[in-house]
Amino acid sequence: MTFQIIKISQNLLANNDEVARLNRRRFLDAGVLAVNVMASPGAGKTSLIIKTMAALRERAAVGVIEGDIAGSIDAEKVMRGGARDAVQVNTGGNCHLEAHMVQQAIGELDLNNLDILFIENVGNLVCPTHWALGEEVKLCLISTAEGDDKPIKYPQIFASADVIVLNKVDLIELVDFERDFFYESVRALNPQAPIFEVSCRTGAGMDEWADWLLSKKPQRSLENAVGSRHAAE
Amino acid sequence: MHELSIMAYLLEAVEEKAHEMGARRVQAINLVVGQATGAVNDSLQFYFDMLTPDTLSQGARLNIRRTYMTFHCEGCHEEYTPEVGGFECPRCGLVGQLANDASELQIESIEIES
Repeated sequence: MTFQIIKISQNLLANNDEVARLNRRRFLDAGVLAVNVMASPGAGKTSLIIKTMAALRERAAVGVIEGDIAGSIDAEKVMRGGARDAVQVNTGGNCHLEAHMVQQAIGELDLNNLDILFIENVGNLVCPTHWALGEEVKLCLISTAEGDDKPIKYPQIFASADVIVLNKVDLIELVDFERDFFYESVRALNPQAPIFEVSCRTGAGMDEWADWLLSKKPQRSLENAVGSRHAAE
Repeated sequence: MHELSIMAYLLEAVEEKAHEMGARRVQAINLVVGQATGAVNDSLQFYFDMLTPDTLSQGARLNIRRTYMTFHCEGCHEEYTPEVGGFECPRCGLVGQLANDASELQIESIEIES
């Protein structure tokens, strides 16, 4: 009988990350900007997606993967809101999306017909941060009504975000949200990520945010573009 | 709340490695878990015990080393771990810059018997 210590030194979620890399390759090949939308329940994830689609009308074809514990209300909503395509993923009680769920969902989408793919994660500020999905942009959406202390309570989602959107700015005077305090905490965690203040209700700030997002769209790889043109002929 | 998924991925990776190394059983699993992951030790242990019957990892010790967020203070030029409820430097009260985000979910090593 022998005893051995085997050094591993790998991310515990390495198997998830491997599938995320495959997803990412597919997004890049198709020239699709994949956005992982992370927020707490009620922050306005679905509203932001619908308003962003409206702001980008005729400039971008948008697909949506709707992650939810159960139901298909949000997929129906985004289709009515102008999405080119939408897939509902029910996590069956799971508190976050994982890369293999997204892999399955993109099998039901024609990525070559899309410019932007929103992946709406399950409403939760903790768990979704660990699972890479293959996205190019990690979006942390937060609303003023949730309070200005969210960066202190949920640092990881702010630290790992590529962009932060602060929604419901029209309510800011009503909910005792201290802008300076919020910005100070966010900047301590993440000095670089752009922060957009919007209101999905009034439309404030939407154009600036939508323009920024569209500027992040990757170019379709040449090989793929040729392939899809042939397919269309 | 997400400890079940974390442990399911852990077990998959550990079992794969243990089988590859021809282990008869896994004696210990050494993990690093950052405080900011929100993963709770007791819950990790609970789901580990639930998932491991009839695997090589059944009965293995789960050694969890926790890491904590650190910030760099521009005033004191030192690193600190803030108190719960804020990011201020405990010496001077300034809010520093994040240095380590304590987001680790890492398998350092496994101890096997073969």
